[in-house]
Amino acid sequence: MTAIRLHDVHKRFGADHVLAGVSLDVAPGHKLGLIGPAASGKSVLLKLVCGLDQPDRGEIEVLGQSVVGKRESELGELRQRIGMLFQNYALFDFLPVAGNVAFPLEQRGGLAADVIAQRVAARLRAVGLAGSEDKLTGELSGGMKKRVGIARATVADAEIVIYDEPTAGLDPVTTQKIYDLLAEDHARTGATVLAVSSDVVALAKFVDEIAFLYRGHIVYRGPAATIVDAPDPLVRQFVRGELDGPLAEARP
Amino acid sequence: MILDPVFEALGAAALRIAQEVGGIVVMTAQVVRALVPPRIDRRELVKQLYKMGNRSVPIVVLTAFFAGGLMTLQTGPFVKKLGATALAGWGAGYAVLREIGPILIALMFSGRVGANNTAELATMTVTEQLDGLRALAIDPVRFLIVPRVIAMLVMLVALTVIGDLVALTGASVVGRAMLDIEWSTMFHSFADNLRPYDFLHGVYKSIAFGGAIAVSSCYFGVTVRGGAVGVGRAVNAAVVAAATSIMLLDFFLTYLTG
Repeated sequence: MTAIRLHDVHKRFGADHVLAGVSLDVAPGHKLGLIGPAASGKSVLLKLVCGLDQPDRGEIEVLGQSVVGKRESELGELRQRIGMLFQNYALFDFLPVAGNVAFPLEQRGGLAADVIAQRVAARLRAVGLAGSEDKLTGELSGGMKKRVGIARATVADAEIVIYDEPTAGLDPVTTQKIYDLLAEDHARTGATVLAVSSDVVALAKFVDEIAFLYRGHIVYRGPAATIVDAPDPLVRQFVRGELDGPLAEARP
Repeated sequence: MILDPVFEALGAAALRIAQEVGGIVVMTAQVVRALVPPRIDRRELVKQLYKMGNRSVPIVVLTAFFAGGLMTLQTGPFVKKLGATALAGWGAGYAVLREIGPILIALMFSGRVGANNTAELATMTVTEQLDGLRALAIDPVRFLIVPRVIAMLVMLVALTVIGDLVALTGASVVGRAMLDIEWSTMFHSFADNLRPYDFLHGVYKSIAFGGAIAVSSCYFGVTVRGGAVGVGRAVNAAVVAAATSIMLLDFFLTYLTG
């Protein structure tokens, strides 16, 4: 059984064919990184997996359930098994830090208030934000917001965790801290991870495999450890940040 | 043909209006569906009731007082000239309870609460907070929209009732201070000439106005496109839609219910 399976997934926005037949499998407990040029549809793919958007065509199965053509009310139970960190944090500005992290547990019900408080405190300690419980999200720096987002995505010990640009805009030291945190969390829960990042070098240290999304297709998938020396010249050029090569020539 | 661009523009505008009206109808249906069974987040409801109601009281009191006073100021000299001061309260009260009160308070409410609500929801939409709720298996309509719609409906009715009382007071104060009309004359004029239905007529209207403001402000908030510019456009569209709806509803409700 696969934790995430996409088969021939298509998604258009007007004339822009963002995903043009993407197929992808992620095994349970596996960590897959997704890279690609800007606006290549990486975030769109993550939202499709979570059922936040619907594909025009194709099949998407998450934890054995199809998410295609489902109503919001039918996706609720599945979404409770998925944690998601959004690129722009998507923190609720009507709640303080602790409220944001506690939110998934409170809304799910079934846990006593003191148990929720303990779990929130433990998560905030783990992400290095102990003492910031009562701060409003508007008072936080970008790095702190990311960490609150990670705490919220992982507080319920989801079976699948989706990270959209977990370190965008962060300095190298904070980036490393964030990835150490994600690795610790994965070691603890064994969750399936799907992560998108523009910082390929840092991402490669965290995930098992990396897939390259280009012009609506997954054109390469291989071990993260050797991504810099990937056999595909497109991927090699992208990862190394070289100006000359097939990527530049292939661009419109 | 030379008029083609004009017809194209008219057609596009009609299509856009039809889309917006359709969207508002769909949102109304979603709100009604979310109320069955009524699982409302109480904390969110209380927060919205306070924010939308309590904080609107000063501006409503101020507006209503002067609106009531203005009615006396306009009608007073004529009734005095005709020696019909017993009708001064009726003139002001009738206009206030049935028309001026509900309309002015609804327009103030739309400008203050509706616009704020649209801006808040639009900002939440563009910063992916609504997607954040959906990703956590929480229905944004049930969690965010329904408490706001209920709060706006309840609070606009409450503010209209308060506004009516303040406006009648304003009418009496201005009558006494500027036109030498006795307190008792004004009071008897209200009591003898105004019917309970005049008051209820305004309350019915405020329910309809509250619904229009609530649904349009939420609709334009959650359907926003783009960043800060989109938020500005959404607020503008919500205020225009609410004001237009208030005037149309007022006309048809007055025509149908007398």
